[in-house]
Order: sequence, then C-alpha cells, then structure tokens
Amino acid sequence: MWQKTRPYLLLLPAIGTIVLLFFGGLFDGLLKSLGYFPAIGETRFEMTAYTNLFQSSEFWESLILTIRVAALSSIFAAVLGAAIAVSLFMLKESSKSGASQVWHRLFQLPLTIPHLVGGYIIVLLFMQSGFLSKILASAGLIDEITDFPVLVNDPFGWGIILTYAWKEAPFVSLMIYPVLSRIHRSWRDVARVYGAGSWNFIREIVLPVMLPAWTIATFIVFVFTFSAFEVPFLLGVTYPSMLPVYSYQLYTSGTLADRPEALAVNIILAALTILLGLVVYYFSKRWNVLKGWD
Amino acid sequence: MSDLRIINIEKQYPQTKQQKDPAFSLQPVALTIKEGEFFSLLGPSGCGKTTLLKLIAGLIPADNGEIWVGDDHLTAVAPEARRFAMVFQQSLLFPHMTVEDNVAFGLKMQKISKRERLADAQSMLEHVGLGGYGSRFPDELSGGQQQRVALARALVAKPRLLLMDEPFSALDPSLREEMRELLRSVQKEFHVTVLFVTHDREEAFYLSDRIGVMSEGRLLQIGKPKEIYEQPVNVEVASFLGLKNIIRGTVANNHFISNDQSFEFPIQSSIQTSQSVLIIRPETIRPVSENMVEILGCVYFKGVIHHKIFSHGYYSVKVRIGEHLLICNFTSQEAEKMNPEQPIDLMINSEDMRFVNG
Repeated sequence: MWQKTRPYLLLLPAIGTIVLLFFGGLFDGLLKSLGYFPAIGETRFEMTAYTNLFQSSEFWESLILTIRVAALSSIFAAVLGAAIAVSLFMLKESSKSGASQVWHRLFQLPLTIPHLVGGYIIVLLFMQSGFLSKILASAGLIDEITDFPVLVNDPFGWGIILTYAWKEAPFVSLMIYPVLSRIHRSWRDVARVYGAGSWNFIREIVLPVMLPAWTIATFIVFVFTFSAFEVPFLLGVTYPSMLPVYSYQLYTSGTLADRPEALAVNIILAALTILLGLVVYYFSKRWNVLKGWD
Repeated sequence: MSDLRIINIEKQYPQTKQQKDPAFSLQPVALTIKEGEFFSLLGPSGCGKTTLLKLIAGLIPADNGEIWVGDDHLTAVAPEARRFAMVFQQSLLFPHMTVEDNVAFGLKMQKISKRERLADAQSMLEHVGLGGYGSRFPDELSGGQQQRVALARALVAKPRLLLMDEPFSALDPSLREEMRELLRSVQKEFHVTVLFVTHDREEAFYLSDRIGVMSEGRLLQIGKPKEIYEQPVNVEVASFLGLKNIIRGTVANNHFISNDQSFEFPIQSSIQTSQSVLIIRPETIRPVSENMVEILGCVYFKGVIHHKIFSHGYYSVKVRIGEHLLICNFTSQEAEKMNPEQPIDLMINSEDMRFVNG
C-alpha cells in the first residue's frame, strides 16, 4: 500500500502548488467574473459582467485587435522560424564545416533577450524618430523622418507584431530544428535519384516531417501573444487595446465594480485558448501528421 | 541502344588532417554495360564500389571522365534529371508516406497524374508480392518487405539504369535468397539494366551476366562469372574469389617449379616466363585410384592428407604437398576412405591450371 501511494505523496507538494496557484487563481477569477465578490458584499452568481462585455464595442474591438495581432505575429514567426530552421538544416547537410553551428547560435540570440527589451529595441528601430527612419532620411529615401510609416504605438499593432515575429521566430526554429535531424542523411540522395530537386525535397519530405512540431510551436506562439501583456502595453495604443491590456485597464480603473468584467476578459481569453487547442488537436489528428513516425 | 558507358571516370578524396593513411582515390574506370544487362561490381568493403555507384548516379561529382547513356551525355546532368533509380543497403522508405505513396514517389516527381501513378504503384506492388499492402506505413512491414517496397519504388519509374548498393546485406540468409530470386525474375521481366554492388561472391555469381572485380579503387577484371572464376587475371582477383591454392614459383624452359620445389611439371609453351603464380581451383583436383590409367595432359602429384571437413554436400580435404596445403573438393564417395596422415595421389588436367603474373 505504502509502496503504491508513495510516488503520489512525493508528488503532492508540486501538484498542490500548481493546483492552488493555477487552477485556484483561475477558479477565483471565474467566481469573481460571475459576480461572486464577498469583499464588496456580492454573493450572488450572475452573468452581468459577460453581458456587459458582449454588449460593449470596446471589447469587440479589443478582441479583433488581439486576434489580428496574435494571428499575424504567429504567422510571421512561424514562417520566419521555419525558414531559419530549414536553412540551417540545408546548410548543415551541404557543408561539413562548423559554419552551420555559428549561424545556429546567432539565430538563437533573440531567445536570450527579454520581451520588454525586445519591445524597446523595436521602439528604437522603428519609431518615427528611430534609427531606421534616420538612416532612410540620411540616405535620401524619405524627405523627413515623419514620412516614415507609424509602426510603433499604431492602431493596427505593427510594432507588437514586429516584436513578436522577431522574438518568437527563433523559438519556432528551436522547436523545429531537432525534429529535422530525424531526416535521414540518405533521404536527400534517395529523393534526388527519384527526381526531386531541392524544393520538392522540402515540400515532400522536410515539411511533413516538421509539420507537427511547427503546428505546436505556432500554437504556443499564438497562445502566448494572445494573452501577453507587457509588449502590447508598451507598443500598443490606448484605444483599442489588446485584451490583456484592456483587462488591466478595467482592473485598475479605480472602481471595484469593473473587476468582474476585467476577470471575465481573462476567462474569455482562457476559454478561447482552450478552444483553439482543441481545434489544433483535431486537425493534427485528422491530417495524420504523426502517422508512421513512431 | 541505351548502353551505359563510363569513360575513365575518377575521384580523389582530399586528405583529412585526422587520417594518417593516404586519402582514398578511385582510379580511372572504363566500363560499358549493355542495355538490359545485369552487371555486378564485386569487391571487399572500402574498395570504391559505392563511390563508383554514386559517381554514376551523380550524387558525388567526378574529378574526371564521362558518363553516357546511349547518346545522352550525363556527366554534368543533375541526379534528379538522369532518370536512374537506386536501391540502398537500407530500404530508406519515407516513414510519413504509405507504402503506395513511397512506391509512387518517383512518378509523382515525373508529374504523372495521381490516379495513374497509384495504379502503377499497386501493379508494381503485386509484382513484388506485396499486393494489398499499399495503405500500410513502412513501420508496419518487416525488413524484407521494406526492401521489396524499395525495389518496387525503383522499378515503377521505368529507370534507364537501376543502381543497387548492397541491397540485401541487411537481410538474413533465407530472405536474401528469396530477394535474389525476386530480383532475378523482375529484372528479366522488365529488361532493366542493373548495376549491382556487392561484396558477396555467391550473390554476384548467381545474379550477374557479367562481373567487375574491384580492389583498392581499381577495377581489376571484367568478365562473365565463369570466365573470371576460371581465369582470374591476378592473385588479388583469385584470392577475392576464394581461390586458396595459390602456388608461387618460376616458369623456365616450358617447366613450372614451385619455390619449395614440391611442384615441378612441364607446361604449355604458350605460357610466358613472367607468369609465375599457379592457381588451382579445388574442384579440378581429383584423387587417383589404384587401377587408374595415366591420362595424357594431366599432371600428377603425391601428398599426405592433412584433414577433411564435410561442407554442403562435398568434402573439403587439405592435402600437404611440400610446404603447401592444397585444398581439394571431393565427393563423399571419393573422400569416404580418406584419413589424416594417409598418403594420396592427385591429378589435375593441365588445362584447368591457371598461370598469372606474380
């Protein structure tokens, strides 16, 4: 009996912490979003916060902006990350020198930089009085630095998208690259003998191999950018703001009455993330992406 | 005619810092393989067989020389445009594709419609005895079945040349025999030109119309299996073919005398003085019975039986003659009463003796 329960008892402190902090927090948020707020004397359950949110244009604009920014960031990071991983893989296949290792390390550099610093780098590079606009103005490509497009603190969210694309692409490549190492060195020879050029080899062999890891990495990036706070707070505009910023604005508005709405935003974010996870899982099963590998 | 012509192709690998031995080089090879022929490159590991195969496939660039198929000059043509096929030591099937898709891969690259290529793939799978396996994945097949799929993948594209790099070496003996039979029959059926690389003598002799024996980057001899076995051009070829009765000596005044003088007999005047190594095939040596009449053109020796071993339906008997241990293959009937340390008289038809340069 003791032997059987021992592993579970040993795991209890870690599991307890996770349940308390993660699920406890989520559960507390859910209760408060439903109006259960004993601190202000509210002990009934009602959907007012959700109804108010769904009726507010501010929420919908925030949601659209959040989806747009998360989707574009994920797509850019996924494409860029895959391009980096495939290039590194092809470089490693074709060269016997250590050049591919140097490039590999170089592409991993953004991983070591915190998101906030990444955000500041984008500000310094892409704002109208930034480095890039000054270079373009000095080169005579634009007349004034104000001719440079507004890419930072813009309503579309380009600054946020650029930051995440730059910051998450190495993460995507880091997820894909080890998977590519499963590709047998001789498969390239096989494919070539049977008429596949480089592009066909990538399309027929490399892409299917990396698809599961690529899908998962892109999903992680999407979920992260969907619920990330600091970069949208730094590089976004006051209105419309991304959902996490909108939630923060509501939470810190000065009135406790807004808090259920702020927490309802968080619950909606979590629900959408779970929903998206299920969709990705369904498609990855349907595409049969893992069949034959194990 | 779409004969494959290899004209003085050569390859020198660069010397690496780690290696103390000199870098490998493939000496110029000149070879013509006829359309529909089964040609084997036979040689020990590391002799350059696979290098030559990859040079022909275009997977490694040649330093010099030319490759032609019929009137097409292919030396500078990329491997994907040569319309060759290749079967490797391992099946190297793509694990994320079904068996059917693996077989149809070459046809897909040739932009054949999906319906047509899948029909061709299914038909080829029937030919290799795997009808009904099309929808499986490679990891659901045994090693032998995977290699059959690899063969089907190679044949379905109707290649101008099928290159095979020791395709059965990873299989167990019974499967190897099965695969040999299969390869032999499909090669005849599809009349495909095959260049087969192996270090297995039995395999090469069983399958080939002609064999090229290689050693240390050189192509030593080309000929029909019987020709190279009975008339090896030098000691290296004879040794690789498993001929152990190699006796060094001198040829002078139409006589051969072995270095230890235990063999001395007259030889044909056509044999040159420079050819001073005698090679005797074990199955050409016969024991002399008491009442046997001496036959003209035969050479007779006396020896002592060292030991006898039963092997695959015959006896391999070692007979000591001077410093040499001569290996003889005798039938069970011939070897029945032979015992170690017993004296024995042997005879060999002089036409079965092979003299080569030392």
